[in-house]
Amino acid sequence: MNIKETVALPKTYKKLKFLIVDDFESFRISVKQMLRSFGVEHIDVSGNGKDAVQKCTFERYDIVLCDHNMGDGQTGQQVLEELRFHKRLKRTSLFILVTAETSKEVVIGTKECQPDGYIAKPITKAVLQKRMDALILQRQALLPINKELDLENYPKAITLCTQEINKGSRYKSWCHKTLAHLYYLTGDYQHAQKLYEDILSKREIAWARLGLGKVQMAQQQYSEAIEQFKTLINNNKDYVEAYDYLSEAYEKTGKRKEAQIILKQATSISPLAVPRQQHLGELCTMNQDLEGAISAYKATVKYANHSVHDSADNYLNLGRSLSDGCEGSEPEKAKEYAEEAINTLDKATKKYNRNDVRASASLIETRVHQNQNDENAAKAAFAVAESLIDESSIDASTGIEFAKTLYRLDKTDRAERVLHSLAQRFEDDPDILSSIEELLDEPVSLRQKMKARELNKQGISYFEEGFLTKAIDTFKDALKEAPKHPALNLNLVQVVLKSFENTTPEREEVEGLNQYLNNVKHIPSQHRQYKRLTSLAKKVDSLANSLKTG
Amino acid sequence: MTEDPSKPDFSMVMASSVHDMKNSLSMLLHSLELISDELPEEMKKSGKVATLQYEAERVNNDLIQLLGVYRLENDKLSVHIDEHYIRDFLEEQAARYEVLLNSRSISLIIECEDDLVGYFDRDMTAGIINNTLTNAARYTRDKIKLKAYHDGRHTVFEISDNGAGYPASMCNAPGQIFKGIDFESGSTSLGLYFAYQVAKLHKQGDETGSIELENGGDLGGGVFRIRLP
Repeated sequence: MNIKETVALPKTYKKLKFLIVDDFESFRISVKQMLRSFGVEHIDVSGNGKDAVQKCTFERYDIVLCDHNMGDGQTGQQVLEELRFHKRLKRTSLFILVTAETSKEVVIGTKECQPDGYIAKPITKAVLQKRMDALILQRQALLPINKELDLENYPKAITLCTQEINKGSRYKSWCHKTLAHLYYLTGDYQHAQKLYEDILSKREIAWARLGLGKVQMAQQQYSEAIEQFKTLINNNKDYVEAYDYLSEAYEKTGKRKEAQIILKQATSISPLAVPRQQHLGELCTMNQDLEGAISAYKATVKYANHSVHDSADNYLNLGRSLSDGCEGSEPEKAKEYAEEAINTLDKATKKYNRNDVRASASLIETRVHQNQNDENAAKAAFAVAESLIDESSIDASTGIEFAKTLYRLDKTDRAERVLHSLAQRFEDDPDILSSIEELLDEPVSLRQKMKARELNKQGISYFEEGFLTKAIDTFKDALKEAPKHPALNLNLVQVVLKSFENTTPEREEVEGLNQYLNNVKHIPSQHRQYKRLTSLAKKVDSLANSLKTG
Repeated sequence: MTEDPSKPDFSMVMASSVHDMKNSLSMLLHSLELISDELPEEMKKSGKVATLQYEAERVNNDLIQLLGVYRLENDKLSVHIDEHYIRDFLEEQAARYEVLLNSRSISLIIECEDDLVGYFDRDMTAGIINNTLTNAARYTRDKIKLKAYHDGRHTVFEISDNGAGYPASMCNAPGQIFKGIDFESGSTSLGLYFAYQVAKLHKQGDETGSIELENGGDLGGGVFRIRLP
């Protein structure tokens, strides 16, 4: 530390606003006394996370000193997460985590949220002063850059970073890191990549390797990016962000199974991050891994408590996967899942007493009862749901939930009506359309779905190998599981048409194909198989006509 | 984490106990600091307060190492390597010992370039340096030197004193003596064992960190050296 700078520090301390957060009063008092002796005048204190977040809403603190483990309430990490989430902490402010916690999960968990510094308990005055001095000098030096970052004035921030580096600044490493990230943010991938590669040519540094991978991801160079993330994990098995991005890269390349495996590893290293658990739940659901989805959503509900990520959806997702789990499981297991589902949904409606939550919860509950063959309970729950729903203005996710339940109650026509009107109302939203399609395609239980998909895959490979009869039989078997599945029906029609090429079929045989086309008639014009349906219908029609006239 | 609630995971129990103890230590050290400010000069010089601080520091170091060694055995210890300004880092470690060293009339010199940068796990390396400082404070006559420099491929930390130095058997092969820790000889071997393992966890390419003990050095006493790639 430069002597001239250090001498000016008391003046700086005098101007800064501090917040001390700790659940022990004696600790708050003792840190307050230390700060006073450094010359700090404005010091607020807070005994818990909730109050701390509140205080940060009304006051701009320059430095927050926050304890990590604060009894039953929010942890320091959750406080930081919430402040960042609501953008109540400027880049120019410092959040310093005070911790006696050495458990691995906590240390990694907090590293992810990136506080500006750590101070380990026990704190003595001399140590606190040294640490604060260094942090404040750095803050002072980087203040102009951080101010531009707060204003999202990236070009200016880039200029200032470059100047600071050219000056031979003490903080040039911070500037390199920030500069590369700024290039990335502004879409200047070439410069970002070059910077990361320059740094890596001198030393293996985790953030540079991660940055390089991210730049490659942004340029859709997924296989290169995958190599970077694998290298990172190889060097440092606890670097969770690397797992997140590796999983994302796998997802982008269609490898959802691998994506799930990697994300699962990340959650076992750092289980406290709620968005990661949520995403794992989604991946498991897509991969039809019910057990995996249930355990991820359970973790979501558990760790989201007190956090900014707490939401009704966490409970509903858990309820959904438990409801799916009791369909087709062994009776004892099914009963266990059903009870837990009802319990979870109950908690959701108690905690979030809103109409949309109550409607979704009752719809899921209806399916749970139906799965347990308790028709009376299912009817009662469904009645509650219906009383809360206005079909003409229903939101997409409740609408899909509604249709799912209608299918489960064998009210197929009504389910299709609901989905058709949803498809019209949300025709510009590809995500909603694709979930509507998925439901229209396979309104059957998850286990049937899995079997039908397996058979469909096999049918396609028979077709590709030229075994047409085998392919036809396999598609027919698959249709027994998912009779309305559009792609499946259309695949069958296509293969049968192909098998007619070398022979002259009977007219009845050709017309028989209409039965399969009829199975698909429920899809709306927005469906991605719709064009294929019309073109195949035309082919069947003209073939039948040519046989008639010929 | 264990699934069986009746059989708690020992590391969790230990971690939460350590957490609790460190909170207490924190209060203890702060109260000591306040008391020593109010004490008359002759009491300050008596070194009784310093002894209290010294022992509290030792308990703190032991706790860190205890947990560290436990994690090592279970393959749960991992390093978080970041860039640090070494002078700031060393000054902070020295600050912990200011009162103690003053009361014993031991002078501590830091020798390190202002903007020297190193890559290492801050908490673990701090633990090693603190432990060595505690040790040096016991064996030195009146001088300790904390030195850091780059030797081309490594960042080197050196703690030397003008005491009688290490026994010759320890200097020969610091890697060897940890094979069987002799707890009767005090915390020295545990500290060295921890330092040895932490150094090994620091890797860069094919290189790993190492530790050395020797006698002589800048001040003529014991020298503890840790090289990190």
